[in-house]
Amino acid sequence: MQNCRIGVYVCNCGTNIAHIVDAEAVKEAVSKLPDVTIARSYRYMCSNPGQEMIVKDIQELGLNRVVVAACSPRMHERTFRNACKTGGINPYLCEMANIREQCSWVHVADKLAATEKALALTNAAINRVRYHEPLDPLTAEMCPTTLVLGGGIAGLTAALELAMAGHPVYLVEKSDHLGGNLARVDLTAPYLDSARDLLTERLVRLRQNPNISVMLNSQLKDLTGFVGNYSATVATHNGHELPQEKTLHVGNVIVATGYKEFDASRITHYGYGKLPDVITSFEFEEMLRAGRIQLKSGRPPQYVAIIHCVGSRSKEFHAYCSRVCCMTALKYAHEIKSALPDCYVSDVYIDMHAFGKGHEDFYKKSSEVKTLFLMYGKNERPVIRKAGPGDDCQMLIEVDEKLSGERIEIPADMVILMVGMEARPDAGEVARLVNISADKDGWFIESHPKLDPVATTTDGIYIAGTCVAPKDIPDTVAQARAAAGRILAKIAKGKIEIEGVFAEVNEDLCSGCRMCNELCPYSAIVFDEVKKRSHVIPAACKACGACVAACPSGAIKGRHFTDQQIYAQIEGVLA
Amino acid sequence: MTEKKKLQIALYWGAACGGCDVAVLDTNEFILDVAAAADIRFWPIAVDGKYKDVEAMADEELDLAIFNGAVRNSENEHVAKLLRRKSKILVAFGSCAHMGGIPGLANLTTRDEIFTAAYLNNPSIEPGNRTVPYHETLVDGMKLDIPVFYKRVYKLASVVDVDYFVPGCPPDPAQVKNVLLAVVKGELPPKKSVVGASDRTVCDDCRRQKKEKKVKRFNRPFEIIQDPDVCLMEQGILCMGSVTRSGCGVRCPNSNQGCRGCYGPAPSVKDQGTKFLSALASIIDSKDPSEIEEILSRLPDFAGYAYRFGMPTSTLQRSHRS
Amino acid sequence: MSYEPKIVGFLCNWCSYTGADLAGTSRIQYPPNIRVIRVMCTARIDPTFVVDALAKGADGVLICGCHPGDCHYSEGNYKAMRRFPLLKRLLKSYGIEDERVRLEWVSASEGQRFADVVTDMTERVRGLGPSRVHATLLTDQRER
Repeated sequence: MQNCRIGVYVCNCGTNIAHIVDAEAVKEAVSKLPDVTIARSYRYMCSNPGQEMIVKDIQELGLNRVVVAACSPRMHERTFRNACKTGGINPYLCEMANIREQCSWVHVADKLAATEKALALTNAAINRVRYHEPLDPLTAEMCPTTLVLGGGIAGLTAALELAMAGHPVYLVEKSDHLGGNLARVDLTAPYLDSARDLLTERLVRLRQNPNISVMLNSQLKDLTGFVGNYSATVATHNGHELPQEKTLHVGNVIVATGYKEFDASRITHYGYGKLPDVITSFEFEEMLRAGRIQLKSGRPPQYVAIIHCVGSRSKEFHAYCSRVCCMTALKYAHEIKSALPDCYVSDVYIDMHAFGKGHEDFYKKSSEVKTLFLMYGKNERPVIRKAGPGDDCQMLIEVDEKLSGERIEIPADMVILMVGMEARPDAGEVARLVNISADKDGWFIESHPKLDPVATTTDGIYIAGTCVAPKDIPDTVAQARAAAGRILAKIAKGKIEIEGVFAEVNEDLCSGCRMCNELCPYSAIVFDEVKKRSHVIPAACKACGACVAACPSGAIKGRHFTDQQIYAQIEGVLA
Repeated sequence: MTEKKKLQIALYWGAACGGCDVAVLDTNEFILDVAAAADIRFWPIAVDGKYKDVEAMADEELDLAIFNGAVRNSENEHVAKLLRRKSKILVAFGSCAHMGGIPGLANLTTRDEIFTAAYLNNPSIEPGNRTVPYHETLVDGMKLDIPVFYKRVYKLASVVDVDYFVPGCPPDPAQVKNVLLAVVKGELPPKKSVVGASDRTVCDDCRRQKKEKKVKRFNRPFEIIQDPDVCLMEQGILCMGSVTRSGCGVRCPNSNQGCRGCYGPAPSVKDQGTKFLSALASIIDSKDPSEIEEILSRLPDFAGYAYRFGMPTSTLQRSHRS
Repeated sequence: MSYEPKIVGFLCNWCSYTGADLAGTSRIQYPPNIRVIRVMCTARIDPTFVVDALAKGADGVLICGCHPGDCHYSEGNYKAMRRFPLLKRLLKSYGIEDERVRLEWVSASEGQRFADVVTDMTERVRGLGPSRVHATLLTDQRER
């Protein structure tokens, strides 16, 4: 620990911090601490003038450590690290104290206690930063080959985007054909484009592009390595033989594994599977593609009811909205009326989600083709009954209609259930293989829901399309191209920079006990049989610290989260 | 003719078992060389001498004082401070002086509980005899006192400034020899060093093969047929070798017994017991909370095991029961 | 005069620290007694940190990590899950009350849960009274 010259900056964040925490008092108190060269209190440290203040102080006062007491490091750690870099010191010689999200915003009733806490946290950061060391990033090669998992519209789009830029792609598809769920669809809402045309366009370009290797009947079995340098094992099932395994060297992975539809038989009283003409949206699409709308008996229906939110927006099944069903239902109303002008169509919905471009117009158009719209309440359900001998329809549907306030009964020969989207049953396995997380509904978790929707917390693994959450084709394609774009940017850079934060084994202290070897989820720890010492591969290490904490001889140091730094923080918060 | 002045040394035992003194004697012929090269001014187990002889010495008259045993009572502390004053170099010798040792396990109980067990509830006490020692009494108008039994055990460095630490229960006789020779030659490392031990752990010197570490069950050494060539931990037998300084010659694992940690923690380890806990628990092969509990239930006295020699030097040092 | 418990919290960056930040952005209030130390993963938490915090004067120690199965580093929280029960047994031997040291799983979206856990723990530790550890160790240095 060299002679420390620490600059401490207490951000007011306008009134966000200063309204509750006495920033001036904190500044005054810390200015008296040993090694604190300068302490300042300022309105917005993250602003340009705020950052420039740090840069100037580093240069003029010879600061070699910086502490910023402000918002959460998850907001601005990068900002202040960059300021340090600009000022001329290593970015890791900076530490933040969270006196906003975890202080001023949550302790409004007790300003004194909040100020005391802010002081304790700032003190801890000052204590810790004394033990910070300059850390430099590692560089590694960026393999330009990409692995795309899933051959639906998302996977096809992403693969083409990468291949057209001149880079090799492996497109791995579990089933025996490309196109995914979109291949089961006839026309798309709201412009009634043919899904087949959308897909064919891509499939033709794909076949013509030598950069794309398509692997059907294939699944990812294992993925090891790190961004830019992944090793993927893919197993292909040829039908009669044992699966063939191939190891691919790739730089990045795009997960575009799509969704599966909700199993309508789970809602027993819709009668799916029992009543012959209660069908799902996908089953209706089959009819549309075949060009024939007809009941099981063979005759065309006279009354069609379309029920929204089957399995979606429900406390019992999935709380979320599946996004595409409302427009698809309107599409069906439109297509039924085109094919069978005398058919009565009832659209039984909770809310009409017409959020996208052209959606409201499409809604207006559909209401003009004489569709009966019936609104039912969330967590209620229309009741489907078999009709009596006197009725001229097969089934009767009772709805507690919300707009009229009346209980309405409508006839139905055919009932189309707008089944929602669900995560595929193997989503958890995929997540585990590529080391990403899935939320409680099984959708893959993005790096940041607003600011980083296609990246994940694992570098080099991207997600796109409905495997992330229900979405329509425009959003799916946008995400696929975004993921491809991110990868193209990285490939263009040539090399990748890996943060210099990793675990390292001190070979002078390591006694070869091998307690650490099996603890690493990234297989970053290897054992040298000759030297009888363990060793961490820096680029593969993700710095979780499991081996650092477990090492019984204290031989493993967790860079930037050393024992010394943490003990200093403990002491600091309790002083 | 000027005779080179002989080394003036003293050896003393605090709360001890005598094993460390035996370890010195176990250097065999070497001790005769020591006797020839040095004046042993004070060594209760082996030579005559009274406290007043030590009190009469000038400050730093002794070149070397070797203190084994822990500090359990006021006499131990008094002599520790005395020897510190009278000696240039003070060495904490053996686990008890170094870390509190086995007597240190008393820190998990209280003085009252110890006295109750020893003087009241002991089966060899005559029924009705409720005599418990007290440190002061009057006999025929005269005050008699015995050392005060402290509330807890201290390691030597908690009561005086110690120059060197020789770990082990007891230290290996070969290491004893090395230390004495180093003093004679004046080739001592920086103050506060641990001497007579390696900077690596017992694993470094252990000849057993080390492989994948995953434990599904902890076994007492007699509960399985051991493989003498395989790491004890991998066979579910507790061994603190991975967290303990080497230098003892791996005498316990070589005898098919897990290392008990008597040489103290490796240099970078702050707390031998909690560090061992971290390593041990990390290699438990389970992700199920109830299975983990079941596996751990086979460790009935983890504190007693992990801090067998170092309770007073652990972070929490002693029981904090109300 | 009633004492104010000092609670040291070790929160993992990806789930619980983010969850605590969410409590902040949602302005969910909780007692100010907790001081958080951020680690990347609960796997980094050496049990020595916990006893060190107690020795330095903490009345309680809270460890928060991702729910099992959701760890950003795949299995880090399982390491915590294994170390923690053994640490509890050790602390019991030292006479440290069970409720002073706690392990909870808090996800990135559980701001309210974080606030609830901190509130509950603060009250329980308040009920236990101040931890004797720090004071006793200081007294031991002077009194025998």
